[in-house]
Amino acid sequence: MTPAPFIRCDGIAKSFGTTRVIDNLALDIFKGEFVSLLGPSGSGKTTLLTMIAGFERPTEGGIWLDGYRIDDLAPHKRNMGMVFQNYALFPHMTVAQNVGFPLRMRRMGRADAQARVARALEMVELGAMADRRPSQLSGGQQQRVALARALVFEPRVVLMDEPLGALDKRLREQMQLDIRDLHRRLGLTIVFVTHDQSEALTMSDRIAVFNKGRIEQIDTPAAVYDRPATRFVAEFVGETNMLSGRVADTGPDGTAVDLAGGLRIRVRQPLEPGRAVSVCLRPERLHLGGAGVNVMDCRVTDRVYMGDHLRVALDGAAGPIIARLPRSADTIREGEAVTASFAPEDCWVLAA
Amino acid sequence: MTRFLSLLVRAWVFAVFAAIFLPLCLIFVISFSGDAYLSFPPTSWSTRWYAEVLSNGGFMQGLRNSAIIAVIVAFLSLALGLPAAYALVRMEFPGRRTIQTLILMPLVLPSMMLGLGILMVFTPAGLVATFPGLVLAHLVMTLPFSVRILQTSLANLGTDVEQAAMTLGATPVQTFAQITLPRLVPGIVASSAIAAIMSFDEIVLSLFLVGPRLTTLPVAIYRYVEDRTDPMVAVLAVLLIVVSLAMVLLIERTVGFTKAFGK
Repeated sequence: MTPAPFIRCDGIAKSFGTTRVIDNLALDIFKGEFVSLLGPSGSGKTTLLTMIAGFERPTEGGIWLDGYRIDDLAPHKRNMGMVFQNYALFPHMTVAQNVGFPLRMRRMGRADAQARVARALEMVELGAMADRRPSQLSGGQQQRVALARALVFEPRVVLMDEPLGALDKRLREQMQLDIRDLHRRLGLTIVFVTHDQSEALTMSDRIAVFNKGRIEQIDTPAAVYDRPATRFVAEFVGETNMLSGRVADTGPDGTAVDLAGGLRIRVRQPLEPGRAVSVCLRPERLHLGGAGVNVMDCRVTDRVYMGDHLRVALDGAAGPIIARLPRSADTIREGEAVTASFAPEDCWVLAA
Repeated sequence: MTRFLSLLVRAWVFAVFAAIFLPLCLIFVISFSGDAYLSFPPTSWSTRWYAEVLSNGGFMQGLRNSAIIAVIVAFLSLALGLPAAYALVRMEFPGRRTIQTLILMPLVLPSMMLGLGILMVFTPAGLVATFPGLVLAHLVMTLPFSVRILQTSLANLGTDVEQAAMTLGATPVQTFAQITLPRLVPGIVASSAIAAIMSFDEIVLSLFLVGPRLTTLPVAIYRYVEDRTDPMVAVLAVLLIVVSLAMVLLIERTVGFTKAFGK
């Protein structure tokens, strides 16, 4: 038996005036889970987060926390920690006062509160900064203060609204690992909004991919990446080659698909013959040489050195294709004729 | 070429400043004149006109009245303006946009017209030539400014920090008192100072409402200048400038001028 969801969103719709930003959305989040809401801006992911936090009310549907409906519960009664993109620290308070704020609101005794604040600051490695003002800290330090403040009162859920969006790349990657580590160590339930697919892939237990107010797919990072439910998911999460074609015939050892460029390829999924399909092929699944089942002759039209790999544009019977090749293919030159291949199980077929 | 341009720009700035400040300097010099009439340069020097002003019962009474009214107006502008600004910025209600526009109306209307209207309402209400009457009339002028300044300060604060406070367990009242209000101090100081200065300098509306028993300093000066022009006028002008300057310095010292009024 699966456990009851910790956060349950059911039949949620949200309209601002006549604009419907979320439509008939359902999402279950389990205790201790790290769920990312991933999507382009305006896809409704932040709106859902603000409804879980209590700043907005759903127009239709309901939200349950641990079995209790919380639609009408004011934000300050929800016991959820929230981390904002711009940190949202209290500029007129010191770091320690910021972190102690939720404890003061809960009328915790002085000695207790001080010990907890010290521990929380230790946890984010800012013990020495307790008496500074937020304006005296770097962006990364400010976000760690915000994190400590959102965790110090042991909230039931931690909501994060693009918390790393304002940080530079290296710091962002460090913080991703830090947050993941905190999530595991403390057993937190985290709802994490981001538009950065690689961030969602690295950090999450499950990813909910948002598009135009709906969830297109909710699954583990590997499933979202390898078996995208829709074309949108395939193209939004990671890079992909989309090859359009038609199913020729299907049998026990796979399916044959005729691509628009004339090439016949084999895939694993059983499909109804005659159907128009899109074959989704990740760039790193392509190999040089004719050893695979699906082989095609191509010409190299572009070659970009990326440090740890080569990004190569190919043109052949399957149409223009991007391949991500290992550095061992360094000798490849623009204009060169090559043979590329890919395995049937590395193709994922979607309805066109 | 660029050098010549930069020189030209500097000369231009200097000219503008001169146009603004030369009359002030002139007045300052004349206020120390020993002559019986306004003339420049003065033929003799003395501080006798300062003594004259300070011992003039009418002016001193007017100064006292204006100061009292300015303080009350500044306080009421804040007390009435802050809740209005908060509602206009943070709350969703029908007609919000309309009210945002209408609230600035008194700034568009000629104050002559406002004064006449106010007189017609205040006469039957028995408010003419009373402190409450003058305070109410000045509020008509100062409130739009206060609301506007506070609206801008509030809008600039954004809602994230307040929302953060609420998720951390602060009730709406606690959030306002402990988070919003402390961050609003520059706006509060600025709007109160503007209200006080406006009230202190107000003349058109006051002209309609003062009476023999109650007059303000600007009205007293205005009446005096109608009859005579002696260096006492320059002394009064210097005093008014000093009061306004003191307010500006107060803002600068407490919160910083650019911070108070935005950039």
